[in-house]
Amino acid sequence: MKQKPIEEGYFKIKEDGTPVLIGSYSAAADVHYFPIRKQCPITEEPVETVELPVEGILYSWTYVYMPMMGSAKMGTAGHGVGQIDLPNGVRVQANIEGEKGDWTIGMKMKLQALPIKTVGDTELCTFGYAPA
Amino acid sequence: MIDDVYVIGVGMHEFQKMSPPVRDMAYVAGKAALSDAGIKFKDVGALYNGYIGGGMLEGISYAKDFGLTNVPITHVENASATGSCCFRQAVKSVQSGDTEIAMALGFDDMIKMGMGMMKAMMGETPKIEQIVLPAAFFAMWATRRMHEYGTTEETFAKIAAKNWNHARLNPYAQRRADHEVTVEEVLASKPVAYPHTSKMACAAGGGAACAILGNKKMAEKYANGRPLVKVTGSQSKSEHYTPGHVFLGAVVGPGDLTKVTTKALYEKTGVGPKDLSFVHVHDAFPIEELMYYELMGICEEGEGDRLVAEGATSIGGRIPFSTDGGLTARGHPGGPTGLAQVWDATQQLRGEAGDRQVEGANIGMIQMMGAGSICIMHMLQREG
Repeated sequence: MKQKPIEEGYFKIKEDGTPVLIGSYSAAADVHYFPIRKQCPITEEPVETVELPVEGILYSWTYVYMPMMGSAKMGTAGHGVGQIDLPNGVRVQANIEGEKGDWTIGMKMKLQALPIKTVGDTELCTFGYAPA
Repeated sequence: MIDDVYVIGVGMHEFQKMSPPVRDMAYVAGKAALSDAGIKFKDVGALYNGYIGGGMLEGISYAKDFGLTNVPITHVENASATGSCCFRQAVKSVQSGDTEIAMALGFDDMIKMGMGMMKAMMGETPKIEQIVLPAAFFAMWATRRMHEYGTTEETFAKIAAKNWNHARLNPYAQRRADHEVTVEEVLASKPVAYPHTSKMACAAGGGAACAILGNKKMAEKYANGRPLVKVTGSQSKSEHYTPGHVFLGAVVGPGDLTKVTTKALYEKTGVGPKDLSFVHVHDAFPIEELMYYELMGICEEGEGDRLVAEGATSIGGRIPFSTDGGLTARGHPGGPTGLAQVWDATQQLRGEAGDRQVEGANIGMIQMMGAGSICIMHMLQREG
């Protein structure tokens, strides 16, 4: 089945099925951002669009005891959410795969495409992380 | 022209889970504040309406219930900080000399707002910005805090139980338990987002609150033998960049936004943390209140847990927080929340807070956050 992001501009799914986040880099501040910024929020200088590293370290996590967000089903009794620090300084807030007890602060996490809805032969995905 | 500004009247409609129409609550709170001040609506020179939900021009429509007086009306919205922002605009209006009396009126029904949002989202593909819930954002603060400082779930439960028990003394609070709420009871309530439980989460509901501001001449004219309540400082800040800044989510923003805003307020007023009689904060979850103890300089970094263990932030303690029950138990309808803080602070400083009175209350500090990205703070001081 084909996969595509539920919304454009945050991440893309490559030909081989691997997802990658799209962010911004400010050369003036030497700072990366996610999601894309219109300009550098520190220097007000232009930014360039870049792909961000797919692996990072779990900074914090929680388990939300609700399996749904609107029409999107997440988990069975609930779903995990984490903050992941990428090696370039970006902190991403996203869903994380697994159940309560699966996560430890400091563990390595890898970006995943998480299907939340099927339309015809296409899975619409958000992005998230799973223990690497 | 810079005038000194005073709170000359406050009023509330009870915060409730099942509340009457918002329009009715707004009228009750507004009339209560006008009556408390001893004035008529025709005396008001500017009206600021604060609401998050509701339709277009709702505030203008509701104002007609008070009278048709040519008064300028402005709608203010700043997420959870809506009521505080409304109050700040009214303060500025009087301070600038534009008017002698201004009215800040907040009203909302968070439950109806939430149902409307969920209904709109059902069947729709969710937006990436909406997928991480506000409850998750605050819970991740808590998990990180536990990792860094060894904070326990019991500490969070103690803060929540304290606020539930403060609310028992507030006739307008949404959650008024018929018994002393225990730490065990808070921990045993339904889990929401680890480590937070439902009794730690702010109470969503409906309500309205109002504050009327005046210059010194008006404050003295309508004092009616009561001490004056002066607004000695007003600060509002949005985010600044910090390493690890989070940009994506319903609630984002660096924790130390409160530190920066508090510092500016302390500098402007010449007041320090040791001078404070009580504090109101945006305690949507207890991790916030715990963090604010430290970010406001009430104690050193990492010492907040000890403050809780000692009971220092309870009424009767060294520095009571959320004396009306806070967002946890007084409730958080949205627009009126920051104005409910002003209602309690004014009663405290006048010595009219009854069973929840902080002895010798002289200076109160009030803080609200809006979507984690806006911090609005005020300093109120008793005069006379």
